[in-house]
Amino acid sequence: MDQYECIETDKVEDVSVVKFVDERMMDAARIEQLGTELMDAISGEDHDRVVINFENVSFFSSAAVSKLLVAEKRIRSQGGQLRLSNLRPEVRDVFSLTKLDSVFRIEEEQDTAIKTLQ
Amino acid sequence: MTTPPRNWTLKRRIPSDPDICAKLMQSLVEALEEYGWAEREVFGIRMAMEETIVNAIRHGNQCSPDKSVDVEISVSDQDFNATITDQGNGFDPDAVPDPTHDDNLENCSGRGLVLIQNYADEVTYNKAGNSVTLKKVKP
Repeated sequence: MDQYECIETDKVEDVSVVKFVDERMMDAARIEQLGTELMDAISGEDHDRVVINFENVSFFSSAAVSKLLVAEKRIRSQGGQLRLSNLRPEVRDVFSLTKLDSVFRIEEEQDTAIKTLQ
Repeated sequence: MTTPPRNWTLKRRIPSDPDICAKLMQSLVEALEEYGWAEREVFGIRMAMEETIVNAIRHGNQCSPDKSVDVEISVSDQDFNATITDQGNGFDPDAVPDPTHDDNLENCSGRGLVLIQNYADEVTYNKAGNSVTLKKVKP
């Protein structure tokens, strides 16, 4: 899959950086597509260190969180590590209320997240 | 200068269509803002409502195009109330495994119910388990 609709991908200092395109993650079909694209983007040996940047996201549903969980498991099974960054306070609340801040390591900024992977 | 009415109400039967849900949510957000609800509260109510309606469409109505969801909302500068009713067989919320339990943290389901419980002050289900009422008092 060369072109993605729901995410943008980049490499920064050998770390894979994924950004969500949509501001709101709620529509079921779009979330399914997001999950597929995310799995494609983080699969493979050269994606052992991944930062997912939430700077564009103002709304993140529980269904979208589930896709993130699947991606985190995949990265972990590849011996890699995942960081989340740039979460707005309201979006961060979604992770803390569901206690997923103990599953995902969340950093304030993308740069900080990349540093923790080096 | 016109004074807004004491409360804003909406009563609608919606099909299992995310686009209609999005338009309904936009109307709700505009009403909450008009009645002076803070941004963080608006986010929470929107989250609780969207998760509830998604549950009604997906788990209640099994995404059947023949079934619909009844939504009733009331917003004022004092409180928010909503009742969402699907045409499914209902469920027992107490039977859903707690996704915040250490053993269930990586499970992919049940998290929407936790968010609904956290963002609303009061969440009550009817006996059949196919209708939920959310209440929140404006801080």
